[in-house]
This record gives sequence, structure tokens and C-alpha cells, in this order.
Amino acid sequence: MKKAQIQIYETIAVLFIFFLLVAIGFIFYARIFKSNVDIETYESSQKRSIAIAQRVMFLPELQCSEDNIIKDNCIDLLKLEAAQKVMKQNEIYYYDLLEYSTVNASQIYPNSQPAQNLYSRSAQNFKNSFTTFIPMLLLDPRTKSNSFGILTIKTETK
Amino acid sequence: MSKKAIEIQFNWIFVLIAGTAILIFFTVLVVKQKSLSESSTKAVVLKSIESIISGASVTIDTTKIENIPNPNIEIGCNKISVGNLPKQHQNLILFGPRLVKGNGFIWQTTAFNTPYRSTNLLYITSPQIKYVIIGNNDLAKDMNKSLPSYLDKENYSSYQDVLQIKNSNNYKIRFLVFENIGLIGNSVPAAFTKMRDEDVTALKIEGNTEKGTLEFYQKKGSSWISLGTSAYIEKSSLFGSIYADTLEVYDCNMRNTFARLKLVTDVYYERTKKLRDTIQRQECKQIYNNALNQINNIKILSSDFKPENVNNLVSTAILLSVQNKEAQKFSCPLIY
Repeated sequence: MKKAQIQIYETIAVLFIFFLLVAIGFIFYARIFKSNVDIETYESSQKRSIAIAQRVMFLPELQCSEDNIIKDNCIDLLKLEAAQKVMKQNEIYYYDLLEYSTVNASQIYPNSQPAQNLYSRSAQNFKNSFTTFIPMLLLDPRTKSNSFGILTIKTETK
Repeated sequence: MSKKAIEIQFNWIFVLIAGTAILIFFTVLVVKQKSLSESSTKAVVLKSIESIISGASVTIDTTKIENIPNPNIEIGCNKISVGNLPKQHQNLILFGPRLVKGNGFIWQTTAFNTPYRSTNLLYITSPQIKYVIIGNNDLAKDMNKSLPSYLDKENYSSYQDVLQIKNSNNYKIRFLVFENIGLIGNSVPAAFTKMRDEDVTALKIEGNTEKGTLEFYQKKGSSWISLGTSAYIEKSSLFGSIYADTLEVYDCNMRNTFARLKLVTDVYYERTKKLRDTIQRQECKQIYNNALNQINNIKILSSDFKPENVNNLVSTAILLSVQNKEAQKFSCPLIY
């Protein structure tokens, strides 16, 4: 083999090793990037789930009020009953607010009662699912009696 | 040419090709990374606006300034976009100018309370937009006090005084005319005639803090043209008309507000019916029956946003509040 040929092969080898190292670097970078994206997607799903839970908690369709003064962490039982019907009839409207989620309200004290479903829309092939439990006061305005309940919000994200 | 010389030349050609390949490779890499980083910045801005929108349902009467450089937020009907990243909503209540740019943005929320709280209204604007309040009636004074202090706002008692003001390089200027004058026939202040037509807008407001009429204007050359009329109900939607610089965005947001009011009214209607059917006392039953008529009217009026419905809605809300007071007087469970 001539000297010049050896030199060319040497250069090709150097270039090959150089690109190999660049490729290894890229694979490493891509893996780290992907894992960061996965973490961010998970965190963003979690944040979205909290945002939906907050929206449910502050829905004027459910909140207790007296003379237009809102009582926090309180669900009016009569509103709850009416909202069930209204939310079912306007599912598309509420999808913009509550996305893929299931919202249930149940009384747990003084006596436990079965959960009442307010909204339900499931995602097919969802990636993450989070469930938030919010203790609430349930007020019956007819008798002005309070009971304790749990608002369960299960969100699904793709 | 000797064999050695050909070898040297071939080496140089080889180095040139390999060097160019490496250079192209890294140039492509840098360009891709740059566009990725730009998209990521836009996504961060959009995410931050989305979280403000979602938090707006929770926070009432809040005003805040977000320091995000060059946000370039475009606001439309049920649509926000940052650069080429759009986000479509089904029922978005966000009042703002067509374009928000500068060193950040100001956002504010207020509750829509006619006759009961049905939603929160969210407003976004830029600290680099100038708002010129013209007039010295009670509503003008009230709005001057109520608008956030972060806003670049100025107050003048008459339109004649405004004709002398200087251009302080704001990218948009909005004149809020509370004075009883017609803008058609009056010229645009000379300092702003060279600005783009859509960046110089005016709003003529007639009414009080409960309700009133609005006329949207835009500059055309050195004169004003009317874009159309609308109506406001309570201070919260008046704020909306101040921040939204187009009639289209204002009306779209008000239609969404009314759609929300209708749904909440449906709930109050069912609730009042239940109260009427379960409470035995005759005086309470009478109150609930009267209230059901008013609530039913609100249901009808909120099905479409138009000026005549606004007037009727205000009067129906007053009648309903009377029934609510009556319920309180007779110790019946309140309607709202």
C-alpha cells in the first residue's frame, strides 16, 4: 500500500471515530432530553389535574352562597342535584373546563352515602391518571344542616 | 504534474469536503437548536397564560403584572396565540387587545355578579398601551380610580385638551370617551395620525356603573370611523370593553359570559323549584314562585347577548334581589 493511500485511510478512520463519538453524544443527549420531556409531561399532567380540581371546587354551580357571598369549601346539596342534570345536558360545554375527568361527591359523616356523579368523560389510551380527594362541607339550605363529604376528582391525561 | 502533487491536491479536496460536511452538520444543529429554544420560550409564555386562565376561576379581584419579556400574545375570539403557537378554546372569557407586547403583561380578574356570581372575567393588557380617559363625570372618575395603577393612563376633562397631547411611543393608544361628544367629525390628535390605524382606537361610554352603551371607534387617516355599538352590564364588562380593542372580541367574550350565566341560571332555576316544592310555609312558596318567574326571564335573556337583553337583565336582576331580600325577611332559605 502506498503512503498516500495509508494517509487517506488514516483520515477516514479519524473521521469515522469523530462521527461515532458525535453519534454517541447525540444518543446520550437524546436519552436525557426524552427523560426530561417525560418528567415534564408528568408534572404538567399533575398541574392540569390540580387546575381541574380547583375549577370544580370553585364552580358557581356547586358553591354555597348567602346573599351572593360565597362560602369556600362548601357544596350546596340542592345545587349539586341541579348541577348533575345541567352538566349532563351540557357535557360538551363542561368538557372545555373539566376535560377528561370524573367528578363525584359523596357524604361521609354523619352517615355515609353513595357517591353522586357530576361529570364523567374518559380518555381512551390515557397515559397518566390522578385522583384528588377534597374534603368539603355539604349544606342542605332547607334545613340549614351541614354534613361532611368528599369531592373526588379523577383526571386522565393522554 | 507529478504523482506527489496529485496526492497533495487530492488530500486538500478531501479535507475540504470533510470540513464542509462537518460545518454543515454543526450549522444545521445550531439552527435546529435555536428554533427549538424559540418554540420552547413561546410554549412557556402560552403555558403561563393558560395557567392564568385556569386560575382566573379561583381568584377574584386580583391584579398582577407578569414580567415576561416580549410575550407577543395575540388575542382573538376563543383563541390566544404566542408566535405561531395557537390555543383554541370553546368558551374563553379573556378580554384584551389584539396584540400584547412589551416587557410583560398585566392581568386582572373580576367576578360577574348579575344577579348572582356566574363566572369570573379575565383581562390582559400591556403596560406599554396608553389609556386616555376623557371626561369628568362620576363614571369617568370611578373608572380612573378602578383601573389598575400599573396601567399607563392619563385623565383629561375634555376632548379638546387631548388634541394637544404628545406621542410617548406607546405601540397602542386607546381613548376612553366619557364626555358627551360625537367622535365622528372630530379629528384624531395630531401626534397619533402617523400610527397604524388599528393601533389607535377609541371607546365612547354612556351610562352608569350598572349598565350602559358602548361605541367602538378606530382611526382612519386623521379621522375616526365607528366599528359598531354594544352594551355593558356592571363594571366588570365595562372593564372588558376598555381592554378589548375590537368589537368582535368584546362581543365574543360577552356571548361566552352570557352562555355561562345561562348554565348557572339553569342550576338556580332547578334549586328554586326544589325549594318551592319542599318548603311548606306559604309566604316562602309565594316568594319562590315569584323568583322562578324572574329566573326564567334571566334564562331567556341570557340566551343571547344583545343591548335590549342587557337592559332587561338589569331590571330582572333588581326584581330577583327584591325576592331574595323578602326570603331573608321571612327567614326562608335564600334564593342565591
